[in-house]
Amino acid sequence: MTQYFRDFYDAVVSALKGMRITVKHVVKKPVTLQYPDERWVMPERFKGFIYNDINRCDACNRCVKACPVDCIYIETTGKGKDRFMYRYAVDYNKCIWCGHCVEACPTDACQHSLDYDHSCYDRTRLVYEFADPKSPVPCHKENRLEMGYYVPNADEERAKLAAKKEAAAKKAAEEKDKPETTEE
Amino acid sequence: MEIITKLLTETFGLQLDQTGQLIAGGLIMALIMALVMATCAIVWTWAERKVAGFIQSRYGPMRVGKYHGALQPVADMVKILGKEDIIPDDADKPLFVLAPIIIFIASLLPWAAVPFAPGFIASDMDLGLFYIFAVSSGAIVGILMSGWASNNKWALYGAARGAAQMVSYEIPLALATIPVVMRTGSLNMNDIVIGQQGGIFQWNAFHDPFLFVAFMIYFVSSIAEVNRGPFDMPETESELVAGYHTEYTGMRFALFFLSEYANLFLVSCIATAVFLGGWNLPVGNAVVLPGLVFLSKAVLLVLIQIWIRWTLPRLRVDQLMHVCWKVLIPLSLLCLLGSGILLMVSGEIAA
Repeated sequence: MTQYFRDFYDAVVSALKGMRITVKHVVKKPVTLQYPDERWVMPERFKGFIYNDINRCDACNRCVKACPVDCIYIETTGKGKDRFMYRYAVDYNKCIWCGHCVEACPTDACQHSLDYDHSCYDRTRLVYEFADPKSPVPCHKENRLEMGYYVPNADEERAKLAAKKEAAAKKAAEEKDKPETTEE
Repeated sequence: MEIITKLLTETFGLQLDQTGQLIAGGLIMALIMALVMATCAIVWTWAERKVAGFIQSRYGPMRVGKYHGALQPVADMVKILGKEDIIPDDADKPLFVLAPIIIFIASLLPWAAVPFAPGFIASDMDLGLFYIFAVSSGAIVGILMSGWASNNKWALYGAARGAAQMVSYEIPLALATIPVVMRTGSLNMNDIVIGQQGGIFQWNAFHDPFLFVAFMIYFVSSIAEVNRGPFDMPETESELVAGYHTEYTGMRFALFFLSEYANLFLVSCIATAVFLGGWNLPVGNAVVLPGLVFLSKAVLLVLIQIWIRWTLPRLRVDQLMHVCWKVLIPLSLLCLLGSGILLMVSGEIAA
């Protein structure tokens, strides 16, 4: 009989305790974010969607080779000095966010962005194009320097190029002079 | 009803005889009550989801409508109207179709005796309280019917549980109101409310300790009577999918849903009328905005029911029956005895 009344008492008291806890939560500010309107700030090293800075990319193909699922497409024309890249695309249907392309990239063109929500209604829209085919990106170092694209150690390279040009000019001048001497 | 007929004959100048008044007034009142029911479902689904959200430190619906997902129930309604209406192959078709209608009718009929304001009651009958308990128990038939007709083991389990629970909890529910009837000396809902005039301590819930306990018993068993948490045994999602309405879709499911929320509001309205003084203000004898006072009390009770649902864990079936038969019924009988003795000693029996 005492157990009966103790149970009764416990039921009432514990129910009231629980209700006190829940009413406290009503007053608290909700912890959830209103997602499309408010966004979580991603940590700096978050491995989001791959992003290619086309200004730094010289189509070295290292990322293509590193990719285990072959989701990076690079298309170029010409050879040597005439080599231009007109397409750099990442197919996010295939991408597994392993980050191997980021590790492989010598110029830090290929990077993880902080983006994570690119859902869409059509899977063809998940192939992201980074290069503009109307203005192809030069791949050769000299062209890149002239057209203002990124080259590692740009100042040194520019100096080298200038020296080379100077030497070439000298040689040309010498060659110009030569026929004169031979004529004599 | 008097208000409606007065409006029809005096303001609009309609020439109606006795029968005409009865039919016109009855139709208009029935329409109003059906609208009240539909509004219940709309408002309470939204309120339930918002309160549940805030209790769990989140927001609840936020996208539909400008302010805090205010149009969410409308979107839900449009969605549910567009759903395919499926009747399972092995179902007992006539019963399957009939069950939601019976439940809907059983939750619509009691509104006839709810006194919202002085004179604003669909049917001012002398057996008001008795009538409410009598017709609302018709829902048990609907629940058993839907569970049987679905030809689904979960639905049948849910229906059996629901019937057992509702039959059991009707006893403390009715027993808890008998002290009030004894004090008022009437089963007429209007008389019960008028008998509580004169401040908060004349309200039945706060008049004496026995009536307060009776109010608590009524409140607990009303939660069980409308099958809501922590007593939602008939539809325990984790065990029985959705209980007796597992197989229902579209508009038929909407009828179940509608009557559930209408019942939620109905038991709160009855509790307000019977125990919390109806349209009477907590102080003084004046009647100010009676409808608003009545509704605000009922809304408060509904919010408490939602609060309880999202706080307490669900009981087991045996615990549920234990609470009903071994706790609530003895306690309500004690209340009956106690308030009877109190009335006899104080001589405070209404003429």
